[in-house]
Amino acid sequence: MNKELGINQLKRRDFLKAGLVFGAGASGLAAGYAAVPDAFARAVYAAKKGGLANDNILVMIQLAGGNDGLRTLVPLADPALHDLRPKLAGPMVSQALPLNNQYGLNHNLGGIKGLWDKGKVAIVQGVGYPNPTFSHFESIRIWETGDPTRRQVDGWLGRTLATSYDSNGHPLTGCACGATDAPGALRDLQATLTVIQNQKTFGFTGGTEVEAAVGALYKGTPGIYGALFDTAIATATETMATLRTSASSYQPMADYSDKVKLVYSSKNQLAAALQLAAELIVTGTGVKLLHVTLGGFDTHYTELNRHDDLMGYLDSAVSAFYQDLAAHNMADKVLIATWSEFGRRPKENASGGTDHGAAAPLLLIGDPVQGGLYGAEPSLTTLDSTGNLKYAVDFRSVYQEILSGHLGADAAKILGTTFDKVPFLKAPVAV
Amino acid sequence: MHRAHRHLRILHIQLMPAARRRAFNEAVSLAPAEDQIAAPISGSRGITRRQALAAAVATGVGVGVVRLLGGSMQQIAAPHAATSTDWISPLGSESARVMQLLRRTTFGYTQPQLEAALSDGFNKTVDRLLETKPAEPPVLAAASTPGGLFAVNLLQQWWIDHMLASATPFAERMTLFLHGHFTSDYRKVADDTFMYWQNLTWRRMALTNLRSMLMAVTTDPAMLRYLDLATSTGQSPNENYSRELMELFTMGAGNYTEDDVRESAKALAGWTVPQPDSYATVVVDKATNVTRRLPVYSSQKTGVFNARRAYKGSVTYLGRSGQIDTQGVIDQILAQPATAVLIASKVAQHFVTARPATTYVNGLADTFRRSKYDMKTLMRAVLTSPEFVADQGYRSLVKSPIEVMVHAARALGTTSPSTSKLIAGAGSGMGQSVFDPPDVNGWPNNESWISSNTVVERVNYVTGALAQVKGQLPPSSDAIHQHLDGVLSPQTASLLNQAADERGRWFIALASPEFQLK
Repeated sequence: MNKELGINQLKRRDFLKAGLVFGAGASGLAAGYAAVPDAFARAVYAAKKGGLANDNILVMIQLAGGNDGLRTLVPLADPALHDLRPKLAGPMVSQALPLNNQYGLNHNLGGIKGLWDKGKVAIVQGVGYPNPTFSHFESIRIWETGDPTRRQVDGWLGRTLATSYDSNGHPLTGCACGATDAPGALRDLQATLTVIQNQKTFGFTGGTEVEAAVGALYKGTPGIYGALFDTAIATATETMATLRTSASSYQPMADYSDKVKLVYSSKNQLAAALQLAAELIVTGTGVKLLHVTLGGFDTHYTELNRHDDLMGYLDSAVSAFYQDLAAHNMADKVLIATWSEFGRRPKENASGGTDHGAAAPLLLIGDPVQGGLYGAEPSLTTLDSTGNLKYAVDFRSVYQEILSGHLGADAAKILGTTFDKVPFLKAPVAV
Repeated sequence: MHRAHRHLRILHIQLMPAARRRAFNEAVSLAPAEDQIAAPISGSRGITRRQALAAAVATGVGVGVVRLLGGSMQQIAAPHAATSTDWISPLGSESARVMQLLRRTTFGYTQPQLEAALSDGFNKTVDRLLETKPAEPPVLAAASTPGGLFAVNLLQQWWIDHMLASATPFAERMTLFLHGHFTSDYRKVADDTFMYWQNLTWRRMALTNLRSMLMAVTTDPAMLRYLDLATSTGQSPNENYSRELMELFTMGAGNYTEDDVRESAKALAGWTVPQPDSYATVVVDKATNVTRRLPVYSSQKTGVFNARRAYKGSVTYLGRSGQIDTQGVIDQILAQPATAVLIASKVAQHFVTARPATTYVNGLADTFRRSKYDMKTLMRAVLTSPEFVADQGYRSLVKSPIEVMVHAARALGTTSPSTSKLIAGAGSGMGQSVFDPPDVNGWPNNESWISSNTVVERVNYVTGALAQVKGQLPPSSDAIHQHLDGVLSPQTASLLNQAADERGRWFIALASPEFQLK
C-alpha cells in the first residue's frame, strides 16, 4: 500500500500516543482553511477564563465578487473618470448623492446617505494591500485571513473568537447568517460558530424526537470528519434552543424587504440575513461577531443597472437593520462594516462593465462611528502597472481599529503586528 | 453461487450475547469464520486494524467503531468508551472495494445493480464504468421555449430524474464534476436552453480529450455568457474568461502573470453566442402585456467566431509571441506542466481523497500528459490506483448534497418525479443546487459541506424522502451492509438496535454520519 497516503494515519497515531484522541481538523484539514471547530476545541474553552467584558457587536457585510468603489463613493469632480469610463461615468456622477463638492454616494444609497448626514457613516478610502492579486479566491482568502502572504489559514474573526471569547456553550458568539457554509473569516480550528441560512426553516422536521435521535447519533463519530459532524449537530441543536426563545421575544421594528430585484448571483437574501442578525442581537443571545454576504458584485458586463441594483439592495437592508437596532436601543453597541475582495478596474471594458481591480473604499456604519472620510482617494491618473488604483490604507488598519477600538480585543496578537491607525470610532475602547 | 452473493446474504444484524460484548474490543480474532470467507483480511488491512486496536488499548480508549461481523455475532455492540478514532477499513475485501467504487463513481445503486457489480468484480466494473457509452437523457421539451425562458426547476428536475434513472450513472457523476469545474450559473447566463445544452455537451465530452474539451468549453453558449467572452472585443477586451480559464479551469493561480491575462483576453476575443434560427414575440408580463422578441433555436449550437470583433495584432502569451487564436491559447495552456497537475489534483480530490499526496498527483499528471490529455486514461489511472482503495482513504470524502440525496433515493427505490422535486428543492439548504453554483469556482468539497445548517438539512431530507415511500421499504438490514459496509460507529449501531421499526432503522442508516461519507 502506498505510504504517501499515510498522513492521516500518522497524525492519528501521534495524537493517540499523546493520550489525545483528536477527532478532526488538524490531521486532514490543514491544507486550505482551518476547519470549523471540534470537540477538542470545546474542551479547551472550558478551561479558558472568561472572554471580553465588552458587550459590543460586529456585523461584517461581504460584498462578494469585487465591489466597484468608484461607483460606491463617486469622485464627482475628477475629469479623468469620464476618460476611463465613457459609458459608465455620466449617470454615476450626475445622479450621485453629494457628500461634499468632491465625492458623492451612489444614488441608490439614500438610506446610508441619511445616516451619513447624522454622522453615523465613516468611509475609508483607498483600502487595499501590497502586491494585490486579481484572483477572487486568493484575494478573498487574504481578506478573510488578514494575511497577504497567504500563510495564515485561520480567519481573522475566527482567531478573535478563539483568543478573546469564551464561547463554550454559546454557539452564537460567532454566527454566519443567511449562509449554508462557514465563511473563511470566521473559521478557526478552536472557534465555535454557527451557520443559519434561514431561521424560519432552521430546525429538524419531526421536532424534538428527531432532534434527540440525531443528537445521540452524532456523538464520538470516528474519522477525520467525525468531530466536525458532531460539533455541527451539537451547535445546531443548541442554536435551535436559543432561537426558539429569541424568536418568540423579537418584534422587528423596521421593514425588511427582500422584494428588491435580485441581480444575478446575489442569491443571498441580505435583508433576511440582517433581520436574523437583529433578532440575535436584540434578544441577547450572546452574539459577538456576525457575518453576512451579498453576492453579485463581479460586474464584468452591463454594470450600469446591475451595480445600481446591488447598491439599492445593500442600502435598503442596512437601513432597515440600523432602524431596527435603534428602535431596540441596541444601535450604540453595533458596528456594521463592509468588505470586498477588491475594487474594479478604473477603465471600463467592451461589455459595459469593469474587470478586477485593487483599492476601494469601505463603509463603516453605526452609532460607534465618527462619521467622515478617512484614508485617501487613489489618483485616477497615476495608476499602478496593471492600470489599477493604488491603495492608501492597508485593510488590516481597518481590522485593527475594529478589533481594538470596538471589540477591545488584542489586535496585535490577532493580526500579528500593528498597523497605521485609522481613527473612525467615536470613542474607542481603551485596551 | 458467487462468493459476493453469499457475502450479502450472511451479513445480517443479529443479537450478540452480553458476555461477548466486552470481548469485542479486545481482539480481532473474534471475527467468525464467515467473515474470513466473505472478507479475507489482506496484509494492509490487518495492520490497520491491529494498529487501531493497539493504540486504543494503550490509551485506554475503546475503538469507536463497530465492524459488523455477521454469523455468530449476536448484536450490534457498542464499545464502552465512545471516543473517536478512525473507521476500520473493510477495503481488504473485494466486495467492499466494489461498493466504494460505486459509491464514489455513481449515485449509489439498487440491489440488482450492486449484485451485478459484485459479480463482475472490481476490475471489470472499472472497465464497464469507463467503456459504456453514456446514456443520453431524454429530450427536455421545455428547452425549445423561446429565449430559454423556462423555470430552472424544470431543468434541475430533468437532470436529477436522469441521475435517478440512468443506466450509466458514472456519466452523470462526471457531468456533475465538470459542472463544478467548468461551471456556469443559470442566473447570469439568463437562458436555460443554453444551460441545458451545456449539460448535454459536458456529458458527451466527459471522457474525451482535454484539448477538444477546452475548445468546447470556450465556445459553449452558456459559458460565453457566464464569463463574458460573448461581449469581449479585441479593441476593448473583457478579462473574465481569460483569467478564469487559466486560474480555475487549467493552470491555477501563480502560474501566469497579469500580462498573460490581458494578452489572452485579446487573443480570445471574437466569439459570440450563436445566431438563432428565428425569433418569436412572446408576452413576458401578462399584467402589462409587455412583449419581447426572443430567439428560437431549432437545434443545439455552439458559439460563432466573428473575425471583425477579434484582435488584429500579435500578442505575447505564456512566452509565445505572434498571432495567437483560441486554439493557440489552448495549446499554450496545454504546454504548461501546471495544467495536468491541476486537473489531476481536482480529480483526485473529487474521487480519491481530500488531501492527495503530491507524488500521487504528479504521477497522475504525468500519465495524463503522456496520454495527450485523454480524460479516460486519467480516470482509469485514478480508479485503478492503489490509493483509490487504500485503507487510509476509507470514508475520507464527504458526499456532496446531490450525491447523498440521489444515493438515498436510489437505496429507498423512490425514483418518482416527486423525488427529483424534493431533491432539487432540498439542495439549496445544503449548499448545492445544480445549475446554480455559489460562484465561478463551482462547489467546494468535503469539510465545506459540513456546517450547522447543512447537517440539519441533510437529516431533514431523509425525513422527507422516507415520507415519500408509501409502500414497503427494502430490508434495512441489507442497507446497513450495502450502503454502510457494516462499519458503524457505536452510536449508529446502538440507535439501529433501539429503532422501533424498519422506517426508524432506515432513518438512522441514511441520517448517519456513515452515509454522508464515501
